[in-house]
Amino acid sequence: MILYPAIDIRGGCAVRLTQGDYDRETVYDADPAEAARRWGSEGAQFLHVVDLDGAKDGEPRNLRQIERIATAVPCPIQVGGGLRNSRAVREVLDAGAERVVIGTAALRDPEFLAAMLEAHGDRVVVSVDARDGKVALQGWTEATGRDVADTVIELSERGVVRFLCTEIDVDGTMDGPALDELARIGAAAPSSQIIASGGVGDLSDLQHLADLAQAHNNIEGAIVGRALYEQRFTVSEANAALRG
Amino acid sequence: MSEQSAANSAAPGRGSRGGGARICILDYGVGNVRSVEKALEHIGAVATITRDPAEVRAADGVILPGVGAFPRAMERVRELGLDELIVERRDAGVPILGICLGLQLLFDSTTELGGAAGLGLLPGGVEELEADGLKVPHIGWSPVRWEKESALTDGIASETPFYLVHSFAPHPDAEDLLGTAAYGARFACAAQCDNVFGVQFHPEKSSAAGLRLLANFAGVCARTPTAA
Repeated sequence: MILYPAIDIRGGCAVRLTQGDYDRETVYDADPAEAARRWGSEGAQFLHVVDLDGAKDGEPRNLRQIERIATAVPCPIQVGGGLRNSRAVREVLDAGAERVVIGTAALRDPEFLAAMLEAHGDRVVVSVDARDGKVALQGWTEATGRDVADTVIELSERGVVRFLCTEIDVDGTMDGPALDELARIGAAAPSSQIIASGGVGDLSDLQHLADLAQAHNNIEGAIVGRALYEQRFTVSEANAALRG
Repeated sequence: MSEQSAANSAAPGRGSRGGGARICILDYGVGNVRSVEKALEHIGAVATITRDPAEVRAADGVILPGVGAFPRAMERVRELGLDELIVERRDAGVPILGICLGLQLLFDSTTELGGAAGLGLLPGGVEELEADGLKVPHIGWSPVRWEKESALTDGIASETPFYLVHSFAPHPDAEDLLGTAAYGARFACAAQCDNVFGVQFHPEKSSAAGLRLLANFAGVCARTPTAA
C-alpha cells in the first residue's frame, strides 16, 4: 500500500479539519510547502493535497501553493478541491499535479466526468465521501442517501479507475479507520483501486489497513493527515507498516 | 568514491556525491522542468535551465528532460539547434542524462505518431509498450531491476521502485541495457552507453532513490574530465 500524507491548504496555511467542519480547524504549518518538504524528505511516495478554499468556493484558490509543493517534493502529488470544470483541472495539472481528485462534480455532472476521463484517463481520481455508508456532497454538507459501494460500482462502469473513499465521521479524529466499510467497498468493487481516507491515528491502524489490503488487494493506499502532523509516527514508519 | 565537490563549490555541497557539479537542464519548452532543477539543488548540484550554447558548454553535465510526443519534441530540439549541441557535448565526454521522453530522444527513432528520427546517441528504437493487455499509459511506481553495474545506480538496490508515466519504451542494445521494469511484459527503463545515460522513470519524483540517482549522475559529472 502507498501512504499519502495529506496537506490541506486553507488561507495559505496547512491545516486539518475535524470531520470536515471548517469551524474546527487546526493550523499546523504557516507554509504548506514546509510540510510537503518534511514528508518528502522522510520518503513519501505520493502526497495528497486539498485546496480547502477551492472546495468551498468551487474553483481553485491556492494554485501558487500547489505549484510550490509540486516542485518542492521529489514525489508525485494528487490535488483536489474545487475542481468542477475542465479549466480548473487543467490549471491544477499545469501547476504540477500528477493526478486530480474530483468530488462533487463527478457525481453531479456526468458530462464533465466523461470529458475528464477522456482527456486525462487514470490521472483522474474520484473522491466519494460518506457518512454511515451514504454519499455526502458539497463539502460534506449535503447527504444524498446513495450507497457508497453502489456509487463506486456505477462510476467504475463509466471508466473511473481510482477512488478516494473518506469516512467523514472518523476524518480528523485519529479514532481509527472505518475498516468494515472499506472492506465492504473493496469487496463490492474488486476492479477499482481504493485509497482509504479518515481516522488513522497510530501505526496499528496502518497495520489493520495493510491486513485489509491482503484480503482486498484493490485497497491500494491510505491518506494520513493529523497523525503525521502530530508526530504519532514518521513517514518511513508508516511506509514500513503499510508494506505489512 | 572520490569527492570532488571542492573543485567548483559555488554552492554548498551538503556532503553529497555530486556537490557543486554544474548541470544544465536543456530548455526546449517541453514540460515542467523545475522539479528536476529543485531535485538537483537539493543534492547540492548547481542547476541551470537553459538553451544557451555558452552555458551548456560551460556545464559539467547535461540533462535532456521531456514529456509529450516524441516527433514534436524532436522537431523543437532541432529548431533550437540543441541536437548538434548535445552531440558536441557527448563527443567532448560530458555526461548526458535523458529523462522520460528525453531518454527516448537519445535513441535512433520512434514509431510514435507515424515515426520520427531521434538523436542516435543510443542505438535502438522506441516502441509502444506491449503491456500485455494492461492500460497504456503506464502510470505509477514500479520496481526497477538493474541489468548491469553503473555509476548511475551505485548504492541503489535492484528492485527499488521508481515513478513512471509513459506509453512508449526504448529497445536498447543488450550491452547498453541498464534497467528493466514490468508492466504486463518487461520493458527497458534505463540505458547507458559510455557517457550517455537515460532513464524512462522520473528520478525527480522517485523519492530518496531518485535523488540518489541524480546525486550519482552529478558525481559522474563532477569527476569527468572533459575536452573543451
